[in-house]
Amino acid sequence: MNTNSNIYTVIYTTVIVVIVAAVLAFVSQSLKGNQQANEKADTISQMLTAAQFGTKADFQKMGNKAVLARYAEEIAEAFTVSPDGSRTGDIALDEVFSPSLLKRQNYNIKGGQNATGAPELPVFIFKNGKKVVPVYGAGLWGPVWGYIAFNEDNSIAGAYFDHESETAGLGAKIKDDPAFQAEFIGEKPSLGESKVFEIVKGGSPKDTENKEVIDNKIDAITGATMTSKGLEAAINTWLGAYSAYLLSATPKVEEEVPAEVNEEAVEGEETTKTVEE
Amino acid sequence: MAEEKKAGLFEKGGKLYWLHSTIDAFDTFLRVPGTVTAKGAHVRDAIDLKRVMIMVVVALVPAALFGMYNVGYQTALATGASWGFWKMFFYGLLKVLPLYIVSYLVGLGIEFASSQIRGEEVNEGYLVTGFLIPLIVPVDVPLWMLALAVAFAVIFGKEVFGGTGMNIWNPALLTRAFLFFSYPSSMSGSDVWVHIPKDMAPTDAFTGATPLAIAGDGGVGALDAAGYSFMDLFWGLIPGSVGETSVIAILIGAVIILWSGVASWKIMLSSIAGALLVGWFGQLAGSGIPAYYHLVMGGFLFGTVFMATDPVTSAQTETGKWIYGFLVGALAVVVRLWNPGYAEGMMLAILLMNTFAPLIDHCVVSASISRRAKKMKTA
Amino acid sequence: MNAKLKETLLNPIFKNNPITVLVLGICSSLAVTVTMKGALVMALSVIVVTGVSSLILSLLRNTIPSRVRIIVQLVVVAMMVILVDQVLKSFEATYAIDKQLSVYIGLIITNCIVMGRIEAFALGNKPWPSFLDGVANGAGYGMILLIVAFFRELLGSGTLFGFDILNRFGYVPNNLVILPPFALILLGCIVWVQRSIQKDLQEK
Repeated sequence: MNTNSNIYTVIYTTVIVVIVAAVLAFVSQSLKGNQQANEKADTISQMLTAAQFGTKADFQKMGNKAVLARYAEEIAEAFTVSPDGSRTGDIALDEVFSPSLLKRQNYNIKGGQNATGAPELPVFIFKNGKKVVPVYGAGLWGPVWGYIAFNEDNSIAGAYFDHESETAGLGAKIKDDPAFQAEFIGEKPSLGESKVFEIVKGGSPKDTENKEVIDNKIDAITGATMTSKGLEAAINTWLGAYSAYLLSATPKVEEEVPAEVNEEAVEGEETTKTVEE
Repeated sequence: MAEEKKAGLFEKGGKLYWLHSTIDAFDTFLRVPGTVTAKGAHVRDAIDLKRVMIMVVVALVPAALFGMYNVGYQTALATGASWGFWKMFFYGLLKVLPLYIVSYLVGLGIEFASSQIRGEEVNEGYLVTGFLIPLIVPVDVPLWMLALAVAFAVIFGKEVFGGTGMNIWNPALLTRAFLFFSYPSSMSGSDVWVHIPKDMAPTDAFTGATPLAIAGDGGVGALDAAGYSFMDLFWGLIPGSVGETSVIAILIGAVIILWSGVASWKIMLSSIAGALLVGWFGQLAGSGIPAYYHLVMGGFLFGTVFMATDPVTSAQTETGKWIYGFLVGALAVVVRLWNPGYAEGMMLAILLMNTFAPLIDHCVVSASISRRAKKMKTA
Repeated sequence: MNAKLKETLLNPIFKNNPITVLVLGICSSLAVTVTMKGALVMALSVIVVTGVSSLILSLLRNTIPSRVRIIVQLVVVAMMVILVDQVLKSFEATYAIDKQLSVYIGLIITNCIVMGRIEAFALGNKPWPSFLDGVANGAGYGMILLIVAFFRELLGSGTLFGFDILNRFGYVPNNLVILPPFALILLGCIVWVQRSIQKDLQEK
C-alpha cells in the first residue's frame, strides 16, 4: 500500500488522533475521582496543619480517609466573607477551597481585568475557636499559597504554606521547613493597617531577656529573598482583605496586658479564654 | 660527583623525574635559572610573569595592612575596649593570618598537584590570587569554608581550563562567589563583618551592618544617622570585607599597579564612569544615594582596581577594555540599587563581564576588520 | 538473549549514555535532581515513557506516512506523558511527589532522548528490541539522574531520600549544591570521569 498518498496520510492521522484522544479522555475520566480526592485531602491536611492539629507528615501518613474524618470532627463552620467584613455565603462542611479557586479570588481582591466579581473570601472555623484563612500570591517561579490559623484574639496560631515551583532547598523552605512556619506562631499582624505583616531579614527585635518581641515581623529565609517577598505580599494582600472581618469577629480584648498576651500567644486557646473572662 | 648525581635524580630519565615540576618550581623561586634560549627572536624586558605578580602583591600590601588594623579597630569599637594602635593591628593580624595560611596552603597545594599531573611547570599565578582571597571575605568566615571554596575555585575555575592564563573567571572572585552562594549566612547580613571574641559582648550601639547595607535600606540619610560620613567611608574604618574598606589604601595600590603598567587605566576609569552614570540615574529615580557614594562603599573600588583589571580575565582589545570596564561599573550599581536580594553587586558584575570579555573582544576585532575592509575597497 | 539484544540493553547505560555521551536531556536533569525521591520518580517516568512509546511506534513503523512521521511520534509520546502524569496524580502515595514534579513530568515530551531514540531506533527495528532500547535509554538517563541527585541531596541537604545522614554530625548544608548550576558542574565531573575511563570518547 502506498503510505505516502494524501488520502492515506489524512485518514491515518485522524485515526491516530481520535484513538489517542479517546484513551486520554477515558483515563482522565476514570482517574478524576481519585485525583480530586487527593487534592482535597491535601488541602484539608494543609488547613489542619496550619491550625496545629498535627504535622503535615503525620497527615500524609494517615491517608486520605483518616484526614477527612479528622476534619469532619474538628470543623465547626465555614463561610465566605467580603472585604468589608460581612458574611456573603456558606461553604458546605465537606467542601474546601482548592488553589485554583484561591487564584480566582486573588484576582477578585486585586481587581483589574482578571476579576470575575466581588471577592468571596473563605473562612474556616474549627470547634476549638481557631479561624483558618487562606493566602495566595506569586512567589519567584510560580504561585505560593497557604493557610494561616488565628486564635480568637487575632494572634496567629499557626501557618502552613505551599508552592508550585519554588527552588528546592531555598524558596521551597516555606513548605518544607517547619521552623519557618513555626515562626508565625504567636505573632500579631497589624490588621487594618497598610502593612499587615512583614517578612524581613532579622525578624523581630529581641527584648532584654533575649526573647522575640511579639509583633508583625518574622525572619526571612536566607538565600530566598524573592520567595520571602512574594509570600509577604500574598499575606499582606489577603490579610488586608480579611482585616475588617477579623477585627469585627473579635471580642474586644484589651491589648495592654503584655505579659499575659505573651503567654497566651504561645500556649494557645486555653489561656485565651481566661483573658476574655 | 655526588652532587651531580643528586641533580640527575629529577632530570629526564632520573628516578624522581615525575617530581620535576615541583622541583623546578622551587628552583626558580629561589634561584635565577642558568639556562637561556639560544635561538629565535625575543623581547628583552625586565618584566616577566613573576615580576608582574610581585608588583600586584606589593600594590595589595597597603590594603592588607590597613585591613588588619581595621579588623582590630572594629572589634575594639564594637566591644568598647580601649586598645592602642599596635594592639588593634596585632589583633587583626592574628585574625587575618589564618585566612592567608589556609588560602596559600590549599591553593598552592592544588596548583602544585595539578601541575604535577599535567607534567607542566608550576607557575606563579596563584601568588596574587592567594593574596586577594583573604581581602575579599568577611573576617569571621570559618576556615574550613574558606578551604573548600579555594579548592573549588582553583580546581573548577582554573585547573579544568588548563591552569594560569587559561581561566575564564577570576579565581579569587570565584572563591568568594562559591562562599556567597553556598553559605549565605556566613557571607552576608550583619553578623559576619566584625569579629566579636567569645569572652566579650558587643556594646548596645553595635549593629554590625556595613555602610552599604545601611545605605541600601535607607539611603544616605540612614548613613548619616548611623554616623558614617563620606570621609569615614573614604578612610575606611568601617565594617566590611577585610581589604575592601579603605579607599585611600586601595588608591595607593592603584598608583603602584598603574605606574608599573600591570593594570589597565582604561578599565578603571570606565568602570568608575559606568558606576557614576548608573548611580546618577538611580539618584534621579529616587535611590537616595548620591552617585559618588557608590565609589567609596562596599567592594566597588577594590574590585575595580584589583579584580576587573586582571589581565587574564578582562577584555584584551583597547576598545574592548573601555566597554568591559564601563559595563562592570554600571552592572555593579544596577545590582546594588535594583536587586533587593543582594546588597553588593561588584562580584556578580565582574564575574558576568569576565564571561563576556571574549565576546566583547571578538566584536571589537571583527568590527575593526570590516572597517579596514571597507577602507581597502574605497581606496 | 543474543549478543545484539544485550548490547541494545547495555550500551545506553554506560558506553553510549544519553546524557553523558549523547548530551541529551540536560535541562530536566538539572531541575529534578535536588532530591533522590524526585530523581527516582522522574527516572521511572522516563523509563516508562521511552519504553512504551518506542514499543508503540515500532509496532506502527510500517504504517506511518513519512511526511507526518514526527507529528505521529509527538502525539504518541504526548499521550504517554499525560498518562504517566495522570496516574501519578491519582495515587495517594505519589500525589505529593507529582505535585512537586508535575511541571517537569509534562516536560518529558521535550526530552530529546524520547524522540531521539524513536527516530534513531524504534522506526527501524522490531518491537521487542525497540522496547528494550527505550527502557535502556531511560535507565541510562535515570542512572545519571540518581548519581547527580545523590550528591546534591547529600551535600545540599545532608539527607538521602529525606533521611538524615550528615546533619547529625553537625554538617552545614551547602546552598550552592541546591542551585541548578551545580548540577551542571556535577554532570561535567561525570563526563570527565567517563572520558578518562573510556579513552575513545576523548576528542582530539
